[in-house]
Amino acid sequence: MTWYLIRRAGQSIAVIIGVMILTFILLHLEPGSAARSVLGLRATPARVAIFDSLYGLNKPLYQQFLIYVKQVFQGNLGISYQGLQPVSTLIAERLPRDAILLGMSTLLALLIGVPTGIYQALRHNRLADDVLAGTWFTLYSAPDFMEALLLIALVCVQLHLLPAAFPGGVASVAGLFADWPALVLPVVVLSINSVAGFSQYVRSTALQTLAEDYIRVARSKGMAERLVLTRHVLRNSLLPVITILGLALPDIVAGAVIAEAVFNFPGMGLLFWQSALAHDFPVMLGGTLIIGAATVLGNLAADVAYSVLDPRIRYGNR
Amino acid sequence: MRIRHSLATTVTALALATAVAACGGTTAKVGSGSAVKGTPERGGTVTVAEPSGASPDDIFPLPPSSNTNGYNENLTIGEWPYLVNIGVGGNSEVNQQESLYSSLTWSDNDSVITIVLKPWKWSDGTPITARDFTFVYNLLKANYNDWEAYDPGLFPTDVTKVTTPNLHTVVIDLNRSYNPSFYVDDVLTFVPLLPQHAWDKTSLTGTVGNYDETTAGARAVWNFLQKQGSNIGTFTTNPMWQVVDGPWTLSQFLNDGYYVWTPNKNYSGPAKPALSKVIFTPFTTDAAEMDTLRSGTSLTVGLLPLNDVGQIRALEHEGYSVAAVPTAGVAEIVPNLYNPVNGPLLRQLYIRQAMEYLINRKQILSDAFHGYGDPGNGPVPVNYGQQWDSPLEKAGGPYPYSPGKAEALLKAHGWTVTPNGTDTCQQPGTGASDCGAGVAAGQKLQFQLLYASGSAYFDQQNAAIQTSEALAGIHIVLKAEPFNTLVATTATCNAASHSGSVCNWQLQQFGYQPYEPDPNGSGIFNTDAVSNYGGYSSPEMDQLVNQTEYGSSASEFYAYEDYAAEQLPWLWLPDPSLPVVYKSNLAGVVPSSPFDFLLNPEAWYYVKPAA
Repeated sequence: MTWYLIRRAGQSIAVIIGVMILTFILLHLEPGSAARSVLGLRATPARVAIFDSLYGLNKPLYQQFLIYVKQVFQGNLGISYQGLQPVSTLIAERLPRDAILLGMSTLLALLIGVPTGIYQALRHNRLADDVLAGTWFTLYSAPDFMEALLLIALVCVQLHLLPAAFPGGVASVAGLFADWPALVLPVVVLSINSVAGFSQYVRSTALQTLAEDYIRVARSKGMAERLVLTRHVLRNSLLPVITILGLALPDIVAGAVIAEAVFNFPGMGLLFWQSALAHDFPVMLGGTLIIGAATVLGNLAADVAYSVLDPRIRYGNR
Repeated sequence: MRIRHSLATTVTALALATAVAACGGTTAKVGSGSAVKGTPERGGTVTVAEPSGASPDDIFPLPPSSNTNGYNENLTIGEWPYLVNIGVGGNSEVNQQESLYSSLTWSDNDSVITIVLKPWKWSDGTPITARDFTFVYNLLKANYNDWEAYDPGLFPTDVTKVTTPNLHTVVIDLNRSYNPSFYVDDVLTFVPLLPQHAWDKTSLTGTVGNYDETTAGARAVWNFLQKQGSNIGTFTTNPMWQVVDGPWTLSQFLNDGYYVWTPNKNYSGPAKPALSKVIFTPFTTDAAEMDTLRSGTSLTVGLLPLNDVGQIRALEHEGYSVAAVPTAGVAEIVPNLYNPVNGPLLRQLYIRQAMEYLINRKQILSDAFHGYGDPGNGPVPVNYGQQWDSPLEKAGGPYPYSPGKAEALLKAHGWTVTPNGTDTCQQPGTGASDCGAGVAAGQKLQFQLLYASGSAYFDQQNAAIQTSEALAGIHIVLKAEPFNTLVATTATCNAASHSGSVCNWQLQQFGYQPYEPDPNGSGIFNTDAVSNYGGYSSPEMDQLVNQTEYGSSASEFYAYEDYAAEQLPWLWLPDPSLPVVYKSNLAGVVPSSPFDFLLNPEAWYYVKPAA
């Protein structure tokens, strides 16, 4: 296992460097000039030249890349062209907010999706299964912005029960919870699609598990149904969920741009979107680096969790 | 001509424009606002929605050339107002009561200004003196190339001498005679006073001196202040920024652009804030702002997004009023006269004339803006005021909608006109009846019009233009891209600075060109002006623009105005008004001039409804 982890860590570093190189090249192939984007329509050639010189954009691409890599290894992700703030500060401000928003929505989806999936498996091909499956697929197929707007129209505009958008002035993570009513709708909207995914994966695996010989043996030995479900069915049904959760980590880091836009939630998704529009290379590079790291980390965590949940799975044996 | 960005006057804010909505067959009419009735109250908090992307990032009131974020002015104008304050109710005129001077007189053939400052005080109790003006002047004189608002040839490089005969008097000797109206309205409206006694230093812990009196010292002070000004984390903790002469102080600022003004308790001006707090809160999108407005809870003031004008009735139901404020500027399509392919076509005046004849401005104004906006008859908005509008503009401009005249013009210059097709040049050459210099036989009359995506207003307007231009065979291809992409991929182009990579655009329509209170063409239509995006150049135009800067007669202004209207350096378009939504018990928001629109909450107060 140790050797496996070392090998995966080495692979991860290689992947991240590859992501950096690819992103750097792609960003610089993008048509248009960062200087013009930042300085606006009235940018004179002289001002563009000053800007390019200030940020090293007048250097050859390979030199820019080497400078960037050196900065990264020194823990410096650069300065945002637009906000004139360190990229690490921008990310550090927004990442915890997204971690809370998307973490809570994922947790809510798990709390609903896993029991529902097992329940559907137990009621396989009966009315309850069909109704729940139909409900989840309907919600899954609806775009999340539409769900968000419908909920806002009903809950906020018509009933005045919750705020329609996140209030400004949230300086800290604690501030998010101080305005908890504003968190409710975005958490609910973001969890809707995940519930469908979780419940259907769990349902499918639970059906396979319920058909296994050891389940029949356990039941024939008189094991309580509650124990059968929690010890055998639930544990085995969680394996696909682990994969989904592992893949969800980069999503959490990347934010949820649509929900953030609709609910006025200044998270990572909007930061990247606005940076992409504004040719703000340092923010896009920093963001891509963090997302790349989260991707490899999420996969690694999923692999490790597999071996914990399923003793049959062992890594490192050739 | 500098670019101002109030909450209302961003170029992209046109997406927020229009003033009347149709909703389920009902139409809500919006006026320019009337006085809110009731008993005035002191105190209360107002929350103002900031449009998406409107976050300030620099607090030093003289931003560097590398920072063109116009929203910084929104942050600083309440703390360090300009010497000359514009806006009296709904009129775009000098507000002498709120300005920092008690008298401003011109002498020596309008080449010397004598300014007597009011005996006001900084928030720390120190009197405002002429030294505060010389501090600003010294900083700018040594650093004008790094000042975002510097217009070549104007303040401070046109100043030959500044003297201070007494504590409150400043005498500015200029290097030539000016039109006082132009200079006061368009130049001194960008010059604030800054507290020399608190800011004339080169480090946070250093002592205040007279460093600005030498060029090297002024540069060191400038660099120090710029560095401090861009440090977002210390906007409210740096004691320098607490020394203000405006009605407000900054009490909270967050990186995402959320900030709070509280009253400057020692403000010397007459309009002392009645509100106890003004919160400016950023919105990620117009939709999020609109949803918040419609939920009727946390917002007091905001701009009405165009796509949601159908919600006016619902907003009124939630306790809001809606009013329209004209924009200060001119809306336009800019032709790139030096496009490698179509530049020769666009340099032909008769082609620009034909294109303007084919823009049905009345229809656009009526259908897209429901009648609320400027008709766009020429370079000066008709709603700017009687004194600025020439008889030609008042009469509808030189090119009222006329497909027949457009067709005749094209035929008279050797074009085969194919309505709803594409015209081709049949008679190349430079004669009076030929297509013109650089236009080849068989060349098609086809242009790509670039415009910013994401706005129903732009889509509707440009589709109408595409349709009407086609009536005389001018084929317009529309291409919408995000505003930032357009800015990053296009540039000001002219004969000298032509660069293929950023000068491939043919026609661009980005919104409107903001104007100062004196709506002359300085900085826009003169040769190589910074906002002369399409490269128009004419010695006669240069001379006429100069005359508006240097002379003050109405006939000189009209001469410039009519010449620009006829020569079409840009194609003129209607310019919609901006609708503002505000709680019905909040007085003072309207009527408002475009120059203090949403920037003067010191004039706002809540009222208790009359019993």
